[in-house]
Amino acid sequence: MRLKHMAIIIGVAYGIMALLPLLVGDIRFLMNILIMCLIWAVVASCWDVMMGFAGIFSFGQVAFFVMGAYCSGILAIEHHVTPVLSILIAGLFTAGMGVLVGLPCLRLAGPYVALVTFGVHMALQPTLRGEIGIALGSGGSVGLLTIPPINIFGYSFSSANIVPTFYLTLLVSLACALVIMFVIKSYWGVAFLALKDSQDFAMSLGISAFKYKLMVFALTSFLTGIIGAYYGHFYGVLSFRMLDLDLFSILMVMMLVGGLGHYPGSIIGAFLVVAGSELMAPLGAYRAVTMGALVVILVLALPNGVMGFFLKRASDRAPSG
Amino acid sequence: MLRVIHVTKKFGELKAVNDLSFEVKAGQIFGIAGPNGAGKSTLYNLITGFYSFNGTIEFDGRNISGMPPFRIAKAGIARTFQIPQTFPSLTVQKAISVGSRFGAAGGLDSAHVNDVIQFVDLDNERTQNTGLLNLLGKKKLMIGAALATKPKILMLDEPMAGCNATEIRSLMDLIAKINHDLKITIIIIEHFMKVLTELTEELLIIESGAKICQGDPLEVVNDPQVIACYLGEPDAKRK
Repeated sequence: MRLKHMAIIIGVAYGIMALLPLLVGDIRFLMNILIMCLIWAVVASCWDVMMGFAGIFSFGQVAFFVMGAYCSGILAIEHHVTPVLSILIAGLFTAGMGVLVGLPCLRLAGPYVALVTFGVHMALQPTLRGEIGIALGSGGSVGLLTIPPINIFGYSFSSANIVPTFYLTLLVSLACALVIMFVIKSYWGVAFLALKDSQDFAMSLGISAFKYKLMVFALTSFLTGIIGAYYGHFYGVLSFRMLDLDLFSILMVMMLVGGLGHYPGSIIGAFLVVAGSELMAPLGAYRAVTMGALVVILVLALPNGVMGFFLKRASDRAPSG
Repeated sequence: MLRVIHVTKKFGELKAVNDLSFEVKAGQIFGIAGPNGAGKSTLYNLITGFYSFNGTIEFDGRNISGMPPFRIAKAGIARTFQIPQTFPSLTVQKAISVGSRFGAAGGLDSAHVNDVIQFVDLDNERTQNTGLLNLLGKKKLMIGAALATKPKILMLDEPMAGCNATEIRSLMDLIAKINHDLKITIIIIEHFMKVLTELTEELLIIESGAKICQGDPLEVVNDPQVIACYLGEPDAKRK
């Protein structure tokens, strides 16, 4: 997809988002949902850069999200670091963790990368709950309960000021989306794709697999850590329960619905899945089953997701040649 | 220009390349042939840094042994692969510019990329995804991307495999043109003896990773040892 088209889709998606508070106003429940949409859009997009563009089957995205959230939360609660600074530190910390996890993955092929990264995910929960976590200030099995909200020049962005908080989230999410867009369309993104398609050919043309694969890990875990930290300060409480499979699978569904490797599909996917999931709330206990069935149908009918479907329609309509 | 000095590569107990030494001079088209499994492709992987080995490889007087593939590419050695490799996610133009952006000294040179696309005759397929190219197109794409790195040596690994007579002719013309017009030294692995005798100035025959014979192609192909390694012993008794 061209940069122009990508920018238009992102612009329209975030533009509609920006207008929604004017319609729904101060209804806190709806605003909360919209804010979560914006946060998941970033996580799903980062995951898409990793899997869809770089072709690295990493299952560590939720772990990086939780790491960022806990890092910033602990810094703010235990060490009284001001939230904006703690979010940045959390981003850098998560990027470092991303590189650490990425290093062994460089020598591994597809399914083994999935195992290592999912191992990190699985190991994080006992770490946070156990003695190491408690020593660091994770709050053990209670979690973090008193994370202060983001405070910029004395103005507090908490759920008490939900509309301004929404717009701040929109800005942060949009900034992340634009960073991802420019990276994908730069020669970094080309290097990611080339390494995914044929690593040997790419290396023989002068691309360092080591450098660019670590860069994918650093970049995606940095952004995921930042948005995770942001989530912590917005929500105010954190629990290791986020590492249960619910969040993991819903993020994967967002990515698949949007279209793997079809950025900015994952943003649209996040919006659609959150909206769909909320619309199905009246189904109660049958919601998860219905959602699962819908995903199966969608993946069979639109293997390249919503974005892949639209791209194909567009290219069919364009004169061939 | 390229000196391979006592190079040995073992995979477990198997010596894929066994104490091999030879030299390729600047401007040459240098052929390498040998039966299947002789170690030709392995030798390419050693020269271009894909495998570690014992021995020394010098390029332009500089020891390149142990350097990673991307550095060797930047140093001026480009290669193609026996099984066509492309970037299905990228268009022809983008794929060729990968070589220029990452492999050439001085980074992306759009004018050069354009020249290369014209040179390998992929102008009409410029905006096509590389996965959609036919076999000959894929081979030209690999050569084009390699040329975009502005190499001093181009190493071709069985470029004619799977091609029909017309395609072989057009690839032979292209290779001769790369050597003659662009002044790029060429090393070529090939099974078609006619291609080798027509194109190359020097021919190296290897078997089981070791040198059997090296020299003028027409003399080499008539060497009794070479004939023996391809066809078996001439005095073998028929039962």
